[in-house]
Amino acid sequence: MALAPGSSKRDKVNRPAVSVPVEALAALAPKLRDDPALRFDLLLDHTAIDWIADGRFELIYHLYSTVHGHHLTLTTSVSRENPVVPTVGAVWPIAHWQEREAFDLMGVLYDGHADLRRLFLEDDWEGHPLRKDYKDDSMLGLPK
Amino acid sequence: MSVSLRTLNDVVRPPTTAASALATQEYFVNMGPQHPIAHGSLRLVLRLDGETVKEVIPVPGFVHRGIEKMCEHLGPRQIVHLTDRMDYLSALMNNWALAMTVERAAGIAVNERIETIRTLMAELQRLQSHVLWWGVLGMDLGAFTPFLYGFREREVIGEIFEETIGARLTMNYIQPGGLMYDIHPGFARKVKDVARYIRPIIDEYDTLLSGNVILQERLRNIGILSPEKAVALGCTGPVVRASGVPYDLRKVEPYGVYGKAEFDVVVGTVGDCWDRYCVRMEEMRQSLRIIEQLIDNIPEGPHMVVKYGARIRIPEGIHYGQVETARGVFGVTIVSDGKGEAPYRMHFRSPSFNNLWAVTALAPGWRIADLIAIQSSLDLVIPDIDR
Amino acid sequence: MALVLDRLPGIVDRFPGGSILVTSIDAVINWSRSNSLWPLAFGTKCCAIEMLMATGAPHQDMSRFGAEVARQSPRQADFMCIAGAIVKKMAPRMRMLYEQMAEPRYVMATGSCAISGGPFMYNSYTIVRGVDEVVPVDVYVPGCPPRPEAFFYGLMTLQKMIRQGTSIREPGVRRKPVMAALPQGITMDDIQGEMRRLLEADNVVNVAEEAGEKIWTEKIRIWMEKHLYKP
Repeated sequence: MALAPGSSKRDKVNRPAVSVPVEALAALAPKLRDDPALRFDLLLDHTAIDWIADGRFELIYHLYSTVHGHHLTLTTSVSRENPVVPTVGAVWPIAHWQEREAFDLMGVLYDGHADLRRLFLEDDWEGHPLRKDYKDDSMLGLPK
Repeated sequence: MSVSLRTLNDVVRPPTTAASALATQEYFVNMGPQHPIAHGSLRLVLRLDGETVKEVIPVPGFVHRGIEKMCEHLGPRQIVHLTDRMDYLSALMNNWALAMTVERAAGIAVNERIETIRTLMAELQRLQSHVLWWGVLGMDLGAFTPFLYGFREREVIGEIFEETIGARLTMNYIQPGGLMYDIHPGFARKVKDVARYIRPIIDEYDTLLSGNVILQERLRNIGILSPEKAVALGCTGPVVRASGVPYDLRKVEPYGVYGKAEFDVVVGTVGDCWDRYCVRMEEMRQSLRIIEQLIDNIPEGPHMVVKYGARIRIPEGIHYGQVETARGVFGVTIVSDGKGEAPYRMHFRSPSFNNLWAVTALAPGWRIADLIAIQSSLDLVIPDIDR
Repeated sequence: MALVLDRLPGIVDRFPGGSILVTSIDAVINWSRSNSLWPLAFGTKCCAIEMLMATGAPHQDMSRFGAEVARQSPRQADFMCIAGAIVKKMAPRMRMLYEQMAEPRYVMATGSCAISGGPFMYNSYTIVRGVDEVVPVDVYVPGCPPRPEAFFYGLMTLQKMIRQGTSIREPGVRRKPVMAALPQGITMDDIQGEMRRLLEADNVVNVAEEAGEKIWTEKIRIWMEKHLYKP
């Protein structure tokens, strides 16, 4: 991946995967879409993983090219205390709402997002449910 | 650094009025979670100028059950029953996505009998889903009769599922490692009877609804989605194929025995509601074609290659698998930390979630009645959006 | 008509044989009400396909019972057939719809999600565990999703309940909720008592503790107070 410095191959993924530092993401995204050899025009999915033991969120972007037919999984990591990621909504418009979902459920903040609101939960819901340290009295666990 | 958090009240704010005496004002109307054309509970906040829609703000979340969090406490076989409560009209295909991902991750190889039966069941379910879509489209646009015809056919196909699987709607049949039950000896004959019965019925649907002038006026040139916009908005399935992009996972990345069956990828030209309608009608015929090719040669073999109580260990890493459901690409991301059976994080890429937002780009400028036609042609299942 | 009916029993009862007249009018009104129950089409998820759409369809025909007129407006509906899981975001809206329905109104909780939370009972942070936390339920129809035949049995149970009720004398009185598909001669109390004895005998679960400390009921009550729209 000569396009972005500091990126490395992310192993243990069943597709070609690359891990980039979060600062390089904003510049890399348009190149991924427009470069004639890559042409990743379909952002299939965007989600976040809460690695609480490492103290970071890992964001995954599953990309696909309808022109060439190849896949790429892009990952980047941000710290849990300050989870600010640049938005890629300008490159792939569907990311606008996929990022809203990640914000709603995980609490990842997107820099430059025009409309960062909660998506599934009410506006005044406290906490981000998919985090591993989410405590909610109304969640019922299986009886021991 | 410009992260600003907002609430719905910030967006839904009445605009300032114009100065002239005969001024019109835009207003917000709520198509609340319970209304006649809801395919579930989706709230649409419309900003209207008279009857013209200026902006559509979908507010999902009225069926959000937190399935992804629940999956962190369940093993792979237990998650299967949750997948068919998301998009219940393609329940078997959702099961297959999860089963495929788990099998590829854990290195379980299934035999050809299992794959053939899975393919047959998926195509039957696709037929059933499109038949229901056709009925509901008619009902949404005001014609109640197609609803009754569509459900009649849905029951006929549902009998096959009921005899084999035992369930009418939430199938829980395609498991990681094979199938829950084996097919019964009369399966092939029953499927052939149903296929023979349904083939002229699809032509009857064309006679009943497709040639109707009112339907064509309501669907032609409404909600045109260009191919670049469709792909940029993350649409998959019949929506993106109607816009001209031949992206069908069954051809592009064949799974099951799709590689052996001959069928066409149905692609539209204009990308309006009429093209989406025609693409799905033709897909029904292609599904029948696949079924007729595969039904005679189901190989022998066991229906389950993993012992019933065995633990399925998913190795550490991120695993992604996807299938082509009746609505689009359904993807499963399993993030496993290698410990225990439950995944560390489970994420479902649901087709309805990614197709929904096309309505924000398509509806502005049209009337409310056209908004209903557009939303019906996108074929959304709301629990799939909310997960 | 309602004003007349309210005063009628008091006036007619005073005459000899008047109560027979009231009972006969009761029977006629109950019969006609039970045979034209109009459901409020309130389906959120999978049960809606089975309970509302498939039962209206030709193979299982709801109009045999007079119930095919599924109205979307609560003002025109007789009973609310809750088909699907209710989550916290939807609960205030459902309560609002229930309050907008005109008396006599009935509620049928179809499907296990509506009865108890269903498959989503454990580890879900938004589900309301049982619709009876929010609205009073008359008939429970178990299943996931219930077969249309089970739905019809529930509808017939509701019809029986209506026919045995007293419409004129006490129009709004709720009878004790029943579970459809109970065998003859057995009540819900019997079944619940036996379950409690079995569970306590095997020391599987401390029934009193689990049943008494329903913390989620309290949470839902607080949630509804905060979110219910009060005009």
